[in-house]
Amino acid sequence: VPGDRSKREGASASSSRPGAPSREHALAWPPFRIALTYAVVAVVWIACSDVVLGVIAPGAKGVVLSIGKGTAFVVVTALLLYALVSRRERALRAIADEVRSTIESIGDGILLVDAGRRVVDANRAAVQLLGVESREALFGPVVSFASRFALRSADGAPIAPDQLASYRALAGAQVVPYDGIARRADGRDVFVSISAAPVAGPDGRPRAAVTILRDVSAARRLDELRDEFLSTAAHEFKTPLAVVKAYAQLLQKRDPSEADALVVIQRQVDRLNRLVQHLLDTTRLRLDDGVHRRERFDLGELASAVVERMRPSSPAHPIGLSAAPAPVLAERERIARAMTSLLDNAVRFSPGGGPVEARVEVREREAVFSVEDHGLGIAPERQARIFERYYRAHAGTPLDYGGLGLGLDMSREIVQRHGGRMWFESEQGRGSTFHFSLPLAGEAP
Amino acid sequence: VTRGDVLVVEDDPDLLALVQMILEDVGFHVRTAREGAAALERVAELMPGVILLDMRMPGMNGWEFAREFRARWGRACPIVVVTAAENARDRAAEIGADDWLSKPFDLADVVAAVERLLRGTAASPAP
Repeated sequence: VPGDRSKREGASASSSRPGAPSREHALAWPPFRIALTYAVVAVVWIACSDVVLGVIAPGAKGVVLSIGKGTAFVVVTALLLYALVSRRERALRAIADEVRSTIESIGDGILLVDAGRRVVDANRAAVQLLGVESREALFGPVVSFASRFALRSADGAPIAPDQLASYRALAGAQVVPYDGIARRADGRDVFVSISAAPVAGPDGRPRAAVTILRDVSAARRLDELRDEFLSTAAHEFKTPLAVVKAYAQLLQKRDPSEADALVVIQRQVDRLNRLVQHLLDTTRLRLDDGVHRRERFDLGELASAVVERMRPSSPAHPIGLSAAPAPVLAERERIARAMTSLLDNAVRFSPGGGPVEARVEVREREAVFSVEDHGLGIAPERQARIFERYYRAHAGTPLDYGGLGLGLDMSREIVQRHGGRMWFESEQGRGSTFHFSLPLAGEAP
Repeated sequence: VTRGDVLVVEDDPDLLALVQMILEDVGFHVRTAREGAAALERVAELMPGVILLDMRMPGMNGWEFAREFRARWGRACPIVVVTAAENARDRAAEIGADDWLSKPFDLADVVAAVERLLRGTAASPAP
């Protein structure tokens, strides 16, 4: 039945409300229905034309009758066609208007890039985001667009043309959002999340790409504010800690009989201080105050110093170390923190005690530090998230041994800033091995 | 006599009082200031043997004090940076300080740092 068919097609065209009739399909008859209407009217005319003409012009005969019938047929069907086509035209224009309004009211900047890699359309949000006068100002080759707005990735590195989101989408890829920076027409930088999707042509190959630019400056500012706040808060904690610790030491000196209690106070102050330090480290790292200096040192020696420092506090976990010489150029203290963090985790997540094995070796022009434990391991479904900030793989399980969920995130960030990687293998119930690599330092100091 | 004279610059009154107490306990003469501008006045009155300098202070902070001090007196006396910052050593290097202490510190380290720096310039004070 044509009616049913039109409903189905209409529903699939406006896929938001399947099955529900809307204004669009009342107006936009499918071609089949138009042809059917035309045919019905034509058949009715052919069947009834003699009778009708007999009434209108009872005296007409022969050629005059044929010409009259033919002319009337053409006039009627032409009017019908006109009505049908213009009705469809109005409907399509209404749909186009609605789509346009929708696109214009979306808060994200949207660019349409054609197969010739030119920006050919843009919405109002894109115009506002980039601070240009009109949408036409955005049109033109994508490469000129990228250079005009100084498109670069979040770390400031320029984006190679073949890595531009629209290029990748035109090559058929769905580009998942990544962070970048664009320079507005007024010279101000704006942080954007960029994604893109191909628009398939009739042959299934991409004939255009839709690129989405989302302004994430506000979220980023919020991130920075939070880090700044955490950093200040952690910093502010330290003076009272210093006062408490110093007075406890003073009392201990003056009244040695209370030494036991005062030692506990100092130990707990130190513990609180480590947590605060941890918060400071992570947030400082992200704010990057730039005061850390890289120096040349032997990763094996540093590992041995770190292991030495940790041994007394974990008697139930003998920490072994095998270290080969591995010169690196890095921020010594931060690398020591990353090592400490991995060793801490190995101890923390081996509640039953057991050996922890640390190793420094050279593999293919990289220095690799590894820590192996025989503890809890990480459940497979939690492994993907363990580098997330604040994520704690054992939170909410009976095996929650505390911590702030900052160590791995911080350590990995430290390592990545040095051009290294961090990875792990883990088997639930068997233990984990965490590794990080750093580029070996050249021969010259 | 400027030898054995320690200037402690710290905005927290409790910590200031304590550091003063333990340094006086081992025989140093201690003067105090709660921020940089006051510290500059103390230095102008009399050059101390060593300065213990907090970095974050209301008013003139440690960086500003150090810059001003160097401009007026160069390296007339050693400075020990006392900071809660993540990397005390780098903070110290920033202002060309002679030593550093990170908060929370051990009392013994405070005394040791002061003694070490004063040894070079003076007879040790009476213990």
